[in-house]
Amino acid sequence: MIRKHTILLAFLAAAAIGQAQGILGGHVTGNIAVDGQMSSADATIGAEDVPEKLLLNSRADVFYSNGGFSAGLRFEMYQNPLLGFDSDWKQGQGLANYFVAYSTEKLSVTAGNFYEQFGSGMILRSYEDRYLGIDNSLFGLNVQYRPVAGITVKALAGRQRLYWDYVESLVRGVDAEVNLNSILTPLQESPLHITVGAGFVSKYEDDESIIASANPEYRLNLPLNVGAAAFRLDMGYGHWGLQAEYARKGQDPSVMNNYIFREGEALTLNLTYSQRGFSTNLQCKHVDNMAFKSLRSREGQMAYINYIPAINKQHTYALLSMYPYATQTVGENGLQADVIYKIKKNTLLGGKYGTDLHLNTSVITSLHTDSLGGRGTEGYHIDWFDNGGIYYGDLSVEVAKKLSPTLKLVATYAYQVFNPVVEEPATTDGLHHNNIVVADLTWKVHKGHSLRFEAEWLGSDSRYDDVNDPRAGDWIMGLVEWNIGSHWFLSASDQYPYNDGSGNYYNVAVGYTHDATRLQIAFGKQRRGMLCIGGVCREVPASNGLTFSLTTNF
Amino acid sequence: MKKIILTFCFCLAATALMAQSATLPANVTLHNLNGEPVQASAITNDGNPIIISFWATWCKPCNRELTNIKEVYDQWQEETGVKLVAISIDDARSVGRVRPHVEGNDWPYEVYTDQNSDLKRALGIVNVPHTILLNGDGEIVWQHTGYQDGSEDELYEKVKELATKQ
Repeated sequence: MIRKHTILLAFLAAAAIGQAQGILGGHVTGNIAVDGQMSSADATIGAEDVPEKLLLNSRADVFYSNGGFSAGLRFEMYQNPLLGFDSDWKQGQGLANYFVAYSTEKLSVTAGNFYEQFGSGMILRSYEDRYLGIDNSLFGLNVQYRPVAGITVKALAGRQRLYWDYVESLVRGVDAEVNLNSILTPLQESPLHITVGAGFVSKYEDDESIIASANPEYRLNLPLNVGAAAFRLDMGYGHWGLQAEYARKGQDPSVMNNYIFREGEALTLNLTYSQRGFSTNLQCKHVDNMAFKSLRSREGQMAYINYIPAINKQHTYALLSMYPYATQTVGENGLQADVIYKIKKNTLLGGKYGTDLHLNTSVITSLHTDSLGGRGTEGYHIDWFDNGGIYYGDLSVEVAKKLSPTLKLVATYAYQVFNPVVEEPATTDGLHHNNIVVADLTWKVHKGHSLRFEAEWLGSDSRYDDVNDPRAGDWIMGLVEWNIGSHWFLSASDQYPYNDGSGNYYNVAVGYTHDATRLQIAFGKQRRGMLCIGGVCREVPASNGLTFSLTTNF
Repeated sequence: MKKIILTFCFCLAATALMAQSATLPANVTLHNLNGEPVQASAITNDGNPIIISFWATWCKPCNRELTNIKEVYDQWQEETGVKLVAISIDDARSVGRVRPHVEGNDWPYEVYTDQNSDLKRALGIVNVPHTILLNGDGEIVWQHTGYQDGSEDELYEKVKELATKQ
């Protein structure tokens, strides 16, 4: 491993020196990102003590490109990982990812770590999210071939990254996407746009001993190769759009489905209509037994080969995102509708500057299943059009209105139903019902100076004494953010559960941005959720103390 | 191990010092709002500057930035010939909302989707919103991360500098 790193470094150093002397030419780009945290224990908010005093997550990407040739590497360091990150990251630091790639007009070849997605990712998605601590990049070979404009064929083989290691299993896949308008002459000038695609992914994993539940004398005859295929369609006609994808997976007994021999399937449909100032989309989803992992006995969020997204709206206001929904890859049905409408200027409801309306609703339920037995059997039977219990539901109305040349108000009301069984580990049973109101006012004091105020309220029927969950109870929140020019910002906020004594979350932050460099320092108590301050959003775990973040691009 | 880190730091410092005009990568495929594939290197503007703005439907500051620029976009285009290309990094969860979002909000920009963040990653971008300014030759001349009300004035100063050079 070390030897390989040295060779790579020598190569990059040579490239760098070569460029500096004008021998090689080409470009060097990249980034550095450092996140640090100091936190002390606070049982009421669930913050842990940090014996190391300071936790650091850092990374740097360096890319070199010259014509069709490119290469890159990433240094990662978790000394030790920030709160909320898996302890498996603890093994420290090193060159985590590297690749070389060559690309011509028709052909791209990447060797090393690569990220790839087939269609919407229902059978294959390798991606990374450094705030979530996920990197399932594949290490191997990825080839893309574009024989003519409008046709893309992909083929790949590799092993999946898991923390600082690669899993033993192999992942192989092929995918083709054809834009019919590019290759069929009659469609070239047509207002009808059609793109179709299909992909196939196969996983090979060595055998292991899993005992059947019906008879402990027998071990399961596990399939070593598991295949998954998907077909997709993307159509547009005038104001209308339709995206559909259907995926099917072979028998894949795993810890996720309690080792049943049942095929998996998933269907997503998205219908959109949009014109100037009005648009809507309707989305539905059916997922049954679609946890596709490179390790059959790995629980949790790691080692996924595919990606099944949640379809409910991703909220960013703190109290609106207090109860976030997590996709149930083992099975769920979902429906989502979204409407954007701009009321014109100089009308009764539009006023002098016009008004923006945004409506969204979603409901996600479990599947209605009839059991056919446990481990080693087909598992269960489902009726496609019959739902089980509710997992999550919400309805939100957002009104954005410019009140004067210097004042803008965004007001939001939302109703949520949340079933804690979707969380790992489930905090409690029984549904939570929440009403949430948010007012967000921006005041442009004068050129380059603005103040933003947020007031939020959440009324919930969950009580701390009943559920022992720090989110329980009714909440109020206030935030003031002062943007000074485009470089500095200061903010202060407080979240307080006023009828339950489960913690008071204050936070003060200061940030400085210069071009592509940004430094932010915050002090306070943070509850788990989505945080957006001074123009950037991220997910954060509970903590009590100081956090800082430095990012730069070059 | 220490040696490796030292060498690495040296590399980093060396590369940072001579950072110079890169272009958009050759091998990244985006999709337009009709679902059709478009190579990132095919983004052009007849020798005029291009603003590349990385955003997502769920990103509040991104939406503030693109909404605020919309109000002055006509004027920017007339004065400098600049074009704004908005690259959505929405993944499978929300990519279906990108076209309704853009048309519903009546954004006048050229919009592409980068569903698995391939272009974002190739350019080493850490967070959205992130803005990149290309000169008439397609070279990256300036980058900015984050958005605060008024950031667009600084961006436009840079665009004007480029336009007068040409």
